[in-house]
Amino acid sequence: MYRLSGSLLIFALLGAPYTLGAEASPVAELPAGPTQEKATAACASCHEARIIVQQRLSKAAWTKEMDKMIKWGAEVDPKDRDALIDYFSANFGPDQAPYEAPRTTAKALTKLPTTKH
Amino acid sequence: MRWTKVSSRREFLRTASAGAMAAVAFPSFLNAAVGPTAISVPGKEGLIVRSYRFLDLETPVEFMTDWITPVQHFFVRNHMFAPAAVEGKEWKLAIGGQVEKPLSLTLSDLQSVPVHSVTNTLECAGNGRSLQSPKVPGVQWGKGAVGNARFSGPSVKALLEKAGVKDTARHVVFRGLDVVPGKVPPFVRSIPIEKAMDGDTLVATQMNGAALTPHHGYPARVIAPGWAGAASCKWLTEITVQDKPADGNFMIPGYRMPNQPVKPGEAVKPEDTHSVTGLTVKSLIAGPSDGAKLKPGAHVVRGVAWAGEAEIQRVDISTDGGASWNPAKLGKDQAKYAWRLWSYPWKPAHSGDYAILSRATDSQGRVQPESAVWNPSGYFYNACDQVKVYVQA
Repeated sequence: MYRLSGSLLIFALLGAPYTLGAEASPVAELPAGPTQEKATAACASCHEARIIVQQRLSKAAWTKEMDKMIKWGAEVDPKDRDALIDYFSANFGPDQAPYEAPRTTAKALTKLPTTKH
Repeated sequence: MRWTKVSSRREFLRTASAGAMAAVAFPSFLNAAVGPTAISVPGKEGLIVRSYRFLDLETPVEFMTDWITPVQHFFVRNHMFAPAAVEGKEWKLAIGGQVEKPLSLTLSDLQSVPVHSVTNTLECAGNGRSLQSPKVPGVQWGKGAVGNARFSGPSVKALLEKAGVKDTARHVVFRGLDVVPGKVPPFVRSIPIEKAMDGDTLVATQMNGAALTPHHGYPARVIAPGWAGAASCKWLTEITVQDKPADGNFMIPGYRMPNQPVKPGEAVKPEDTHSVTGLTVKSLIAGPSDGAKLKPGAHVVRGVAWAGEAEIQRVDISTDGGASWNPAKLGKDQAKYAWRLWSYPWKPAHSGDYAILSRATDSQGRVQPESAVWNPSGYFYNACDQVKVYVQA
């Protein structure tokens, strides 16, 4: 088993193999809201927000995902769980427009915008 | 027929996919790829970023005009973080479990085993998940988590014969070097011994005639041809022969299909499911693009079709929303496990809206259905493909 630790974690968080001198992060951000900071802290150490912002799920499905991710190591204060489920359900429910994903370029970019939802 | 006649141009375009609308806004998707929102991923050009960290990249259908997909256009599916640069000289492959003689092989050991090549259409089980209704969680793949490449390396059979497989062997477990965050279960899966020993399942070290790139599992990966991509472990480092399947999240509940069709949205008990294996029958339209505005005159509808371990027998095309169908011409390039290119000359008779559909049939008699069978994980979406175009004189 190969688990993230120490310098490797920093390496992965920076996305070092892919950025090549980019000035801004190529990872997506969660939308503004009272729980944005807590949601980012709980999720972004393992994966970027883009995997969240592309989902279009019911509250029941978000509840299942939240509990799965807590089991998989997402650090969520039990008193924040319901607010986080509400935040994801409100922003990424079945009726939201589809997420428009960016494209790659094989070129090394010197300046990248932060992709916002 | 589920392809209803569209009432107006506005309604017609409203029902075209969001991706297609973006293509209308940026007629040259190649230019859009290096536009202000492009993300730099060396070695990967113009792919759709489903996730950057971990990396999941999708091939736009418009790229699917070559029999062999170039590596720079080949989709990427990582469940975890790719390992930091793996040194080929230090890499080792352990073979153990129910074998007579456990082995530890270096890359040069692998190179002394006869090379076998397979041209394989590799598709993620979740390809097309975003088209399922109701939506299910997971990477929201559009149509392009699929590609066709020539993979080369020793067969798993040749390596397991070196180690000597015991009579108790029933399943073969593959483990990669990917880096697992948090308490996430590792991405470890197994395939039955029959598939592992069929001679075409590879420990591939090459893709399209060159060493695997890091995105595709350098220095070695499994290729279980014709099967869902999850069987084809990247950055392979350990093969374990067992008397039972691997356990863990990515065997149960992950990568399983209901034994019986279920109602959309219905939950399924794990005991009523089975592990995903061979791919289903499927075709995609590479062009014209969904939402395209065409001039009157001669056009060619083209695309790809594949059927896992079966062979494509025919692809039929409808240009009237499914009312009538005509056979497409299959491309001359073919190989077991590989997709077929197909093309269909088309001259629209009048201006207006057209819904173009493709429908593949395979050697097992499987036919691409009008609508895909819904399942809770969104696997094996294979409804007839459809693009909507507008012909304007």
